[in-house]
Amino acid sequence: MPYQAPLPREYYALMPEIAVSITGIVIMMYDAFAPKGSRRGAGYIALAGLVAAGVSVAYLWNESIPPAFSGMLLTDKLRLFFDAIFILVAGVSVLMAMQPLDDERLPAGEYFTLLMFATVGMLLMGGAGDLAMLFLGLETLSITTYVMAGYRRGDLRCNESALKYFILGSFSTGFLLYGIALTYGATKSTNFLKIQQAIASGQITYEPLLTIGVAMILIGLCFKVATAPFHVWTPDVYEGAPTMVTGFMAAGPKAAAFAIFARVFVQVFSPDVPNAANLAATWTDAVALIAVLSMIVGNVIAIQQTNIKRMLAYSSIAHAGYALVGVLARDWQSVAFYMLTYAVMNLGAFTIVTILARQGDEKTELDDYAGIGFHSMGLSVVLMIFMLSLGGIPLTAGFMGKLVIFKQGWQAGFHEVVIIGVLNSAVSLYYYLRPLVVMFFKERETPYVPPKVTAPFYAALAISVIAVFYLGMFPNRTLNALEMNNASKDAKAPAAALPAGGVR
Amino acid sequence: MTIQQIVFIVFALIITAGGVGVLVQRNPLYSAFSLILSFIGLAAMYILMGAQFLGVIQIVVYAGAIMVLFVFVIMLLNVRDDELHPDRHKYLLYIGVPLGLGLIAEVFYVVTRVQIAPAITDMHATGTVGTVERIGVGLLTEYLLPFEATSVLILMAVIGAMHLAKREKE
Repeated sequence: MPYQAPLPREYYALMPEIAVSITGIVIMMYDAFAPKGSRRGAGYIALAGLVAAGVSVAYLWNESIPPAFSGMLLTDKLRLFFDAIFILVAGVSVLMAMQPLDDERLPAGEYFTLLMFATVGMLLMGGAGDLAMLFLGLETLSITTYVMAGYRRGDLRCNESALKYFILGSFSTGFLLYGIALTYGATKSTNFLKIQQAIASGQITYEPLLTIGVAMILIGLCFKVATAPFHVWTPDVYEGAPTMVTGFMAAGPKAAAFAIFARVFVQVFSPDVPNAANLAATWTDAVALIAVLSMIVGNVIAIQQTNIKRMLAYSSIAHAGYALVGVLARDWQSVAFYMLTYAVMNLGAFTIVTILARQGDEKTELDDYAGIGFHSMGLSVVLMIFMLSLGGIPLTAGFMGKLVIFKQGWQAGFHEVVIIGVLNSAVSLYYYLRPLVVMFFKERETPYVPPKVTAPFYAALAISVIAVFYLGMFPNRTLNALEMNNASKDAKAPAAALPAGGVR
Repeated sequence: MTIQQIVFIVFALIITAGGVGVLVQRNPLYSAFSLILSFIGLAAMYILMGAQFLGVIQIVVYAGAIMVLFVFVIMLLNVRDDELHPDRHKYLLYIGVPLGLGLIAEVFYVVTRVQIAPAITDMHATGTVGTVERIGVGLLTEYLLPFEATSVLILMAVIGAMHLAKREKE
C-alpha cells in the first residue's frame, strides 16, 4: 500500500490538540525561566492556550473533514462538541486552581502543565478513530490525573487518594487493554470503521471473542466514568485529592470517558450495523443494569454522607447512571448535552468548596457550613444555585440535561430505567438541599471568618453560573448545534454513524 | 514433526517451567528469575512467528529493564522470612487452583474454536511482518499519530514522576 504523507488538511484537524500541547510546553519553559514566586503567569498562559484551542474547535465546527492520519482521528460533531466541553472544563479548572496554588505554595508550573496535557488526552479521546488512539488518550489523561490527585505531597490523605486511584486505575486499564486485544483478535483491526466492516461482512474469527472483548472494554470504561459496581474508588479518591483537582476529575475525565462510550457503543457496536444485533442486545442489557445500579447506589449512599466532597462523589456516580440512559437510547447528543450541563454545575459547586475549604481542605465537613448563609451571603446563594441544578430544578441546566436524556430514553423504550431515574432524582433532592438547610438554618458553634474571594474565583463562578442559567433557560441554541431539535427520530441515522470515507 | 514444531515444544516447555517456577519458589527473588526464563522463552516464540523485532524488544524491555525494576523493588523491600507466609494464603489456594483450572479450560475451548482467517498468510518465519523495517515504516506512516501521542504520554510520565519524587525545597 503506497503511503501518502498527511495532507495539510489533516494537520488542521489536529489543531486543538497541537494548540494545547504547545501551551503545555510553553508553561514548562516559562516556569523554568520566570522569576521565583510568580505563580499566576503560568495560569494566564494556560488560559490563552485554551482560548486558542477553543477558536480552532470553532473553526473546525463547520468544516467537513474526512478521517485523518489513516483513520486515527475522526472529526465530526461528536468530537468537536466534546472538545468544547473539555476546553471549558480545563479553563474553569485553571481559574479554580490559581488562588489555592498561591495560598498553599504548590508549584504552579507543573500543575498547569499536567492540566494542559490532561486536556490533550481528553481531546485525543474525543477524536479517537482507532482503539489504539483511544487507549493512548485515556492513558495520557489517567497518568496526569494520578499525579494531580496526589499533588499535595505532604498530605497523607492526598497520597492515599493518588495511590488508590493509580492502582485501581491501572487495574481497570488492564481490562480495557485486554478487551482491545480480544477485539483486535476477533476483527483483525483496531480501526473503528474496519471493525464495523468486519462485523458487517461476517469476517469475525470467533464471535465469543468479540463479545468478551466488548465486555472488557465496557468494564474498563465503566470504571473510568465511575458507575456502580465499579465505583468503590470514587469517594476516597475524590475526598483525598485537592478540591480543585476533584472538580476537574469529576467533570473532565468523566466527560471524556463518556465521549468514548458514545463513540464505541453508540456508533461502532451499534445495532444498525449488519450482524451486530446480538452484540448490541448484549451490551444494552449490561448497560441498563449498570445505569440502574449506579443511580440507586449513588443516591442512597450519598444521603448518609457528612463530608461534602464524599457526597458530591456519590452524586457523580448517580449522574453517571443518568448519563448512561443516553447511551442506552443510542443518542450521543443527549449524552453530550448532559455532560456539558453536569460539567458546569459540578465545577461551580467544587469552586465554592475550594473557596470555603481553605488550606489543606480542612473545612469540607457539612458542619463547617453551618450558619454561614448570612455571613457569606453571595457564596451561599451561588452554592444553592449549583445544588438545585444538580438536583434538577427547572430553569437550571441540570433540569434541561435530565429532561433531554430521560425523554430520549423514554422514546427509545427504556421505560423502567427512566422511571427509576426520575424517582432517584427526586431522592437526590434530599441530600442536595441539606447543605442549604445547614447553611441557613443551623447555628454555628465555631467562629467564622468569611474567605476572601479573588478575581480568578469570581471568573470561574461567573462562567459556571451564567452557563447554568443559559443552558437551563435557553438550551435551544446548544441543542440546535447538536442537531437535536429537528425531533424526527428517522433523521438520527446519519448523525449516529461514524464519519465515513477516506480511510486510506 | 518439523523442526519448527520441535523448537516450539522446547520453548513452550521453558515458558511453562518458568511460569510454574514463579509460583512455587519461596524466595521472591527466585520467582523473579524464573519469570526471566519465561520471558526468554516467550521471546523465542515471537521470533518463531516471524516477529523478530518484538522478540528482541521482549528481551530488552521485559527481561532487561522491567525485571531489573522488579529485582530492585524486591531487594529494597527486603521482606523478612516470617512475613513470607501469611495465613490467608492457605484458603486462597482452594480458590485459586479451581479458578486457574477454569481459566485453562476456557482458553483451551476458545483456542480450539477460533478459525485462523485465511487472509493472514504472512505468519511464518520467512515473512516480513515483524521486521524492524516494517515496524519502522508503520510507525512513521499509518501509526504516525499514535506514535506522537505516545511521546506525549511518556513526557507526562516523566513530569509526573519528577513532581512526585523531587525533594521539597525549604
